[in-house]
Amino acid sequence: MAKYIGLRLLQSLFVLFGLSLLIFFIARVMPGDPARVALGSLATKEQVQNLREEMHLDKAFPVQYYFWLKSVLHGDLGRSLYTRRPVTTDLKAYIPATIELILISFLMSLVIGQVTGVLAGYFRNSWFDSLSRLISYVGVATPAFAVAIFLLLIFTYVLKFSPTVGRLSLTAAPPPRITSFLILDSVIAGKLGTALEGLRHILLPAASLAVANIAQEGRITRTSIAENLQKDYVTAHIVYGIPRWSILFKYLLRPSLIPTVSVMGLAFAYQLSNAFLVELVFMWPGFSRYAVTVMLNKDLNAIVAVVLVIGVAFSVVNVIVDIVVSFLDPRVRLQRAGG
Amino acid sequence: MAQLLEIKNLHVGFRTFEGELKVLNGVDMVIGEGEKVGLVGETGCGKTTTVKSVLRVLPTPPARITGGEIFYRGKDILKMKPGEIRSLRRGEMSAIFQDPLAALNPVFTVGHQLRDVIKYSSRARHGKHLSKKEIRDRSIAVLKETGMPDSERILSNYPVQLSGGMRQRVCISEALSAAARLLMADEPTTNLDVTIQAQILRRLNELVAKRRPSILLISHSLGVVRNLTERVYIMYAGNIVEVARTKDLFADPSHPYTKALLKTVPKLTGEGISQGIPGRIPNYLNPPEGCRFHPRCGHAMPICKKERPALFILGDSHKVACFLYRR
Amino acid sequence: MSRKELLVGALSRKRASFSKGWYKFSRNPLSVVGLIVLFSVILAAVIAPYITPYPEHAGAFTNFRESSLSPSLTHFFGTDTVGRDIFTRVIFGYRFSLVLAVVVLGLSTPPGVILGLIAGYYQRRRIEIAIMRITDIFLAVPPLVLALAITVMLSPNLFNQMMAISLMWWPWYCRLVYSITRSLRHEYFVREAELTGASKAHILLREILPNCIAPILTKITLDMGFVITVGASLSFIGLGVQPPRPGLGTMVADGAKRLPAEWWMAIFPALAIVIVILAFNLVGDGLRDMFAVEEV
Repeated sequence: MAKYIGLRLLQSLFVLFGLSLLIFFIARVMPGDPARVALGSLATKEQVQNLREEMHLDKAFPVQYYFWLKSVLHGDLGRSLYTRRPVTTDLKAYIPATIELILISFLMSLVIGQVTGVLAGYFRNSWFDSLSRLISYVGVATPAFAVAIFLLLIFTYVLKFSPTVGRLSLTAAPPPRITSFLILDSVIAGKLGTALEGLRHILLPAASLAVANIAQEGRITRTSIAENLQKDYVTAHIVYGIPRWSILFKYLLRPSLIPTVSVMGLAFAYQLSNAFLVELVFMWPGFSRYAVTVMLNKDLNAIVAVVLVIGVAFSVVNVIVDIVVSFLDPRVRLQRAGG
Repeated sequence: MAQLLEIKNLHVGFRTFEGELKVLNGVDMVIGEGEKVGLVGETGCGKTTTVKSVLRVLPTPPARITGGEIFYRGKDILKMKPGEIRSLRRGEMSAIFQDPLAALNPVFTVGHQLRDVIKYSSRARHGKHLSKKEIRDRSIAVLKETGMPDSERILSNYPVQLSGGMRQRVCISEALSAAARLLMADEPTTNLDVTIQAQILRRLNELVAKRRPSILLISHSLGVVRNLTERVYIMYAGNIVEVARTKDLFADPSHPYTKALLKTVPKLTGEGISQGIPGRIPNYLNPPEGCRFHPRCGHAMPICKKERPALFILGDSHKVACFLYRR
Repeated sequence: MSRKELLVGALSRKRASFSKGWYKFSRNPLSVVGLIVLFSVILAAVIAPYITPYPEHAGAFTNFRESSLSPSLTHFFGTDTVGRDIFTRVIFGYRFSLVLAVVVLGLSTPPGVILGLIAGYYQRRRIEIAIMRITDIFLAVPPLVLALAITVMLSPNLFNQMMAISLMWWPWYCRLVYSITRSLRHEYFVREAELTGASKAHILLREILPNCIAPILTKITLDMGFVITVGASLSFIGLGVQPPRPGLGTMVADGAKRLPAEWWMAIFPALAIVIVILAFNLVGDGLRDMFAVEEV
């Protein structure tokens, strides 16, 4: 098992290396002079040239890559041309907000998705199944920003239920930064009112992200359960007298979870990449919004760093998913162990 | 002997794209207490469908029971409420299927599944809640009875890790734990190695002798049935065509199909390779009118094409569904 | 049998399998609905200039007297801030979305499929490893991210958007075909073809590829919706269809600034996006049902 994890990590490392090369190459190859862009059209030629030298832009590509790799390994991702701060500072500021968003969204999609999926799969072709199928079709077909807009319209403007922007309303005082997770920090600091406010603010953005995943996961679980219901071992379970609830929530759920978990990697990818849409609509100060801003401003160092962070996150999640799958399905585990 | 199971005129159909497959066409069967009954027929003739109908585990969207009754100890199973049927499954009747790998849940250990069966069946049968240790002991004991080597270690294995014979022993253990009166074994050894087949059948015989449930042994092999049953039913295309005491059937086969079946068994006396039975099993979409065997029957008469023959009484416990024998 | 009889036999079998396929497809009424909607959308997009009330609005047009009108009989979806009819622009917007989907998939599928076939066939040779590692690298990042990055590098417009998304898309087909090819690699019919000296091209294209067609077709249909989503998302942040042309995502972004008062500016384009993606998904599901092997 440990050997397997080690192998996967090595694989991921190799892939990340290749990714860094790819994105670095693209960043350097693109037209336009990044130094000029950074300094603006009013800067003098000298200033631009200085910056170019500083950024090693005048050297050959492999040399540039070498410098960059060296500083990355020292924890220095360069300086953002846009915010003028070290990229790592920017990342530290914005990543927790996005993680919070994604986590809550993930939790939502897991719980709601699984429960609806199991029920829909069991009560196949009932009104519940048809209704949830319809909703999930629409859910999958709606891009995240459209969901965000619809939800915004309904809940904020029509029903006046949720607030519109940011993690906390402008008048509220933020809690001390312990983990940088706003809600957690509020709870730790004992400011439950703030925590609740934070929760209210995060609800809509998280829901916007979650909708597509709920739809997707719900359908997969439903299909999986419906399929497995036809399997012979379910008939055998019924014949040997296992009660229905046990068949449904124990004997059926575990094999049915397997395809869902496999898809979770993709679900996470979806959330990671679409977070920016939601963050833009709800003005959430998160990593994705930073990523988009940085890209629109052709902020080289930051772009490369951002893509790498996403790549790392994605790889880690994929490895975790693989491990969970092999835990759930002993056949996979035994295969790997050579059994 | 009191009648344990009585199937009367059972009709079962399967709905498909092309139409309804009329699989069971009026099956009649009787099994007494403690009787050992065999059911022989080609693949696709409806044997498994019959078993599944008795246990009420037919997949009812495509399948449906279109007629007939099934009496278990006097009560019509088809009219029972789900709760009643469940307790029947937990304490009175059970089945062993052809493919033990498919019948076991791949992501749970064998021990886990067996223990659950024991837990729920003992609760249903005796109202007792057994302790974990008791359940575990029982599972080891019943596995040992089926001839499983190293029973204790096997409990923590997954189905994929066991051989075919071992898996079937697990299934037999499950079935024995859940059934007190009626055990239906649907081709229990067909998928196993020849060497293991004999072992399993012998074990099954011993277990039946010891615990005395009624047993319905289904096979497409006459040889298997000959040694282990007291009475035999011959099934063709969803109908029972002949039933007799086993020795009578082999001594005096009456239905043309039975006779042809017996001829297809190759003999060691080297009389040459049998020709098989000409023709094919009918299309269940548009089955032949009247007797479903008439297109392949060498003795077909005009009436065979129009009416379905009932089971005419030939002798003591010997009945044939053939107009040749109508008095 | 005469050649004519053989041909007729083959045709009637094709017809029979087609009608059986249609039966399976139409079992789910939603798929049929999806198909109808899809046809309507495609038709509308194609003949857009002829069926829209104000075709000249799909471009640089201003009429401030009629700006920001709410939906009415003269303007089904209302007008935007410079007075253009939103209904017209939505229909024209469909053109961009559909073209995007077709171009992206048309560009990315053939190379992906071919690379997948090669990688899956030549197992354990360097070429397989090379192809799959490159695929892995592209797949290491969610498609939207990379498409975003690339589009940004180049100037934002529809063409670059198409190129960027296509670059992102081929690895998925490569992987799909790769796994199918791998599993078929050692089947008897492939071995036979090898033994009888068939060329590699023949084996790949005539023996293995036909087995991949069904999942590929299904995936293409579902991907159409997905590509449109990606395209709309990119347009939303200004990286796709540039104004004054009517891109659906762009229109939603513009309309979002006008919520909630002038809700129609954002909602109708958003609904239009949802409808076309939904239609593709329903049809894709129907295709999946159609190709599914029935269990007896």
